[in-house]
Amino acid sequence: MFSYNFKYELKLLLRSRWIQLLSLVLLLIFGFATYNGLQKVEKRKSDILAAKNEVKENDEMMLKLLDSVERGLSVNASPWTIPTSPMAVGTYHPRVAAMEPRPMAFLSTGQADLFTHFVKPTVRSDAFDLNFTEMTSPVQLLFGSFDLAFVVIYLLPLLIIAFSYNVLSAEKESGSLRLLAAQPIRIQSWVLQKLGLRFFWLVLLVVVSLILVFVVLRLDFLSEFSTFLGLVGLILAYTLFWFAIAFLVNLWVGSSAKNAVALLGLWVTFVLLIPSVLNQLGNTIYPMPSRNLMINEMRSLKAEVTERQDEILDNFLRDHPEYALNDSTQARGFYHRYMASQKLIREELAPLVNSFEEQLQKQQNWIARYKWLSPAVLSQESLNKMAGTAKSDYEDYRKQVVAFAEKWREHLIPFLYNNQDFTQADYGDLPSFDYQTKSNNPWMVIIAILLMSIGLFATGFVLSKNRGRNIILNQG
Amino acid sequence: MISKTFIKETKELFREGRVRISLFIVLLLLGVAVWISAKQYQNINEQYAMAKTAEREVWDNQGEKNPHSAAHYGTYAFKPKYPLSLVDQGVDKYAGTSIFLEAHKRNEAQFSAAADQTGLARFGDLTPDFILLFIIPLLIILLGYNSFTKESEMGTLTLLKSQGISSFSWMMGKWSALFFPIFVKTAVLFLIAGIVLNNLNDFGVFNWTSLGVMFLVYIGYYIIFINIVLLISSLVKKSGISLVLSLCVWILACLAAPKAASNIAESKHPYPTRQEFAANVLKDKKEGLDGHDPWSKESKLLEKKVLQEYGVDSLHQLPFNFSAYRMQKGEEHEAEVYFKHYNYLKEQYANQSKVYRNLAAISPYLPTRFLSMAIASTDYDTHWDFADAAETYRIATQKFLNDNTAQNTRYGERGYKASANFWQQLPAFAYEPPELDTVLHRNSSNMMVLGIWLFASFGLMFFTTKII
Repeated sequence: MFSYNFKYELKLLLRSRWIQLLSLVLLLIFGFATYNGLQKVEKRKSDILAAKNEVKENDEMMLKLLDSVERGLSVNASPWTIPTSPMAVGTYHPRVAAMEPRPMAFLSTGQADLFTHFVKPTVRSDAFDLNFTEMTSPVQLLFGSFDLAFVVIYLLPLLIIAFSYNVLSAEKESGSLRLLAAQPIRIQSWVLQKLGLRFFWLVLLVVVSLILVFVVLRLDFLSEFSTFLGLVGLILAYTLFWFAIAFLVNLWVGSSAKNAVALLGLWVTFVLLIPSVLNQLGNTIYPMPSRNLMINEMRSLKAEVTERQDEILDNFLRDHPEYALNDSTQARGFYHRYMASQKLIREELAPLVNSFEEQLQKQQNWIARYKWLSPAVLSQESLNKMAGTAKSDYEDYRKQVVAFAEKWREHLIPFLYNNQDFTQADYGDLPSFDYQTKSNNPWMVIIAILLMSIGLFATGFVLSKNRGRNIILNQG
Repeated sequence: MISKTFIKETKELFREGRVRISLFIVLLLLGVAVWISAKQYQNINEQYAMAKTAEREVWDNQGEKNPHSAAHYGTYAFKPKYPLSLVDQGVDKYAGTSIFLEAHKRNEAQFSAAADQTGLARFGDLTPDFILLFIIPLLIILLGYNSFTKESEMGTLTLLKSQGISSFSWMMGKWSALFFPIFVKTAVLFLIAGIVLNNLNDFGVFNWTSLGVMFLVYIGYYIIFINIVLLISSLVKKSGISLVLSLCVWILACLAAPKAASNIAESKHPYPTRQEFAANVLKDKKEGLDGHDPWSKESKLLEKKVLQEYGVDSLHQLPFNFSAYRMQKGEEHEAEVYFKHYNYLKEQYANQSKVYRNLAAISPYLPTRFLSMAIASTDYDTHWDFADAAETYRIATQKFLNDNTAQNTRYGERGYKASANFWQQLPAFAYEPPELDTVLHRNSSNMMVLGIWLFASFGLMFFTTKII
């Protein structure tokens, strides 16, 4: 029976030009989406490269200046920018702290259009005034990006719906169901076989067109084979989920049109409603503190600190007796006071700045608990993580940069309080930033979605045991 | 004949379970969305008022201080939320809400809500605009996809033919039966929104005219969808195919086109990265006068020019403090540099807008979205407007501070402090969003595109369908 079904289905799909149409549509949208993703990644890479080159050139100038100063020549530069001052180095010659794209970054734009991929923290930067958002038109952020993740999560289910909404009802409507009922096969098994074959063809077409697009666009996906397998696995699981939904709807609902409406309603629920409701509930239960009120607090603190600068410096030096020992001149200028008060501001504001992080973490935990309600949320998150563009990736990057800013400052501060000049010899010791990526494993999500789908199929079988007869008898 | 068709269709619609259920669900969603948005709106505006007063207090109570220190200490401009954002949130979530106004530097608006949210935020929010723009068109499809196909499927087409009804009145009957529930529903929503807004303690200007125009825009949008759905239904034989085709139109117009437009716009007319932008500004700044640097070439040139102008031979003889004068001139140069670079951004955005307009040919969603945001004062143009107003205020503030030093001190004098009550003399920052007329004028091309869609879809519907 299975082989008959197989041949018949294939003929049907080919004659109705479904397979041809589907291949064309898939190739087109996969191609366009991958191309878009690649363009974004290219831009990101070239931006980072340009920034690094600029720093390189800047460094050469700095070394030349240092050389001139050390040889006692007069230099043509504003006095406060001459790099013998460690604070001039720390302010005007920052390093690039870049977040290099992952090999599969083109998969999903995620938060990549919202956040920047390189910053140059100076000695004055801290967690508060480093700006990590990118200069993007908010209209673009609103509309989002036509990337592979969008195609997989939004469009693929719609294709599946169009592919399978009338599997049973069409037979009923054309009257061929009675013929089928005479065959030695249960109606559920028959629907399952039919859907299974369509699933097989769809997955085959998806994988083939994906590989074709990757080959044409010269993507080296073989070197990232495990991620590629993860991607295929995820698409497979997500597709299976939607086929399971289609199976249930086909067994339960009635006419083709009603099936389509029901499937569409489920699509809206899983892809549009659950994610937005989850997000909004998260925001309501764990509201972010107000950024505007944070500004107020920071402002009054800064005002207060400015008035007490001398006192703060005294306290700072009392806490750091080593500076008093190493420095014979004991000269104190703007930067000595400024850096000491900045340190105080940083420490006092830390709880406030952290409160945003904590709240975000709580929201994320909340979502992590309920994301299982929608495979769309699960898949989007998984794809973002494969691409390295998830919120958690940017949070991680931000933390690494803040730590690096601290390292940068800590490296130069002893020069300042020891009143020691920065020299050419010190250049080689300057710290540099190296972005550490976290490894991720999509298989848990894939298995979860697979289990959900199997659960749905099983439910369909068990609950429709008695309906099989009715489906046939009740037809018009 | 039109009214008979209308009554029959309406009865049929309301007798069917799927219609009742979907109407109920959409109403429920709308209710939730309005409730959430109203709460957010109140919350944000309370915080806004608080932040604004607190910031002004900090500014006023600086005590005795050098005006240029105060300029570096700076102040903040906060962006309020406008009443109609209750209906359409627009780009508010993605645009910053506060701008730091300091000496020498034009800062961008900071702290967008989206940056503080989890990745889920990118799926969209359950807000009235989401329902209005996405879900109601979907509802139209669900209500109307089988409007004509069912007649042949149920075999009533033969009966109808014997009635001698004209294609036009049949179509009009069906059309008005589909239009009526959508119209009523939208009208109720806008009415409720208006009443809620009228009773909220609003901080902006709410007027019913804007709400009315917005209502018309959405009604236009729905009419386009109704026309398309009926057109498809009349051209196709089977209900199933009609549904799938209508859905394709919806996917293309509401989901795919905006995203594709955003990708094309970005690759054709990209913005610089934040760091690039800062580097370009710095380069241009260095080529001009730096108010802090008396030794630079530009400073010497300015010195010579001013001395000549006043016919004196030393800076001490000038009737004002030259240091502060130089500071102000430096400030003006920097303001020009920023003006140039921000103008470049605006140009890029104008080019991007053209891409959006061109793609509106396949998506009535795009012009509707832009119009709706513009009327709600939550579009990108309003954000630019706000940023420009803040910049104008910043430049005026710098002049106010520098002039004080220039007039009250002599050249070479150090350690000047303005008196404690001086700060209050600075006028407060005030910003009003553009009036409705300006908004509509600015968006005339979007209105035109929407108009073309409206007429073209009507035309197609009436002239290509010869059903009977």
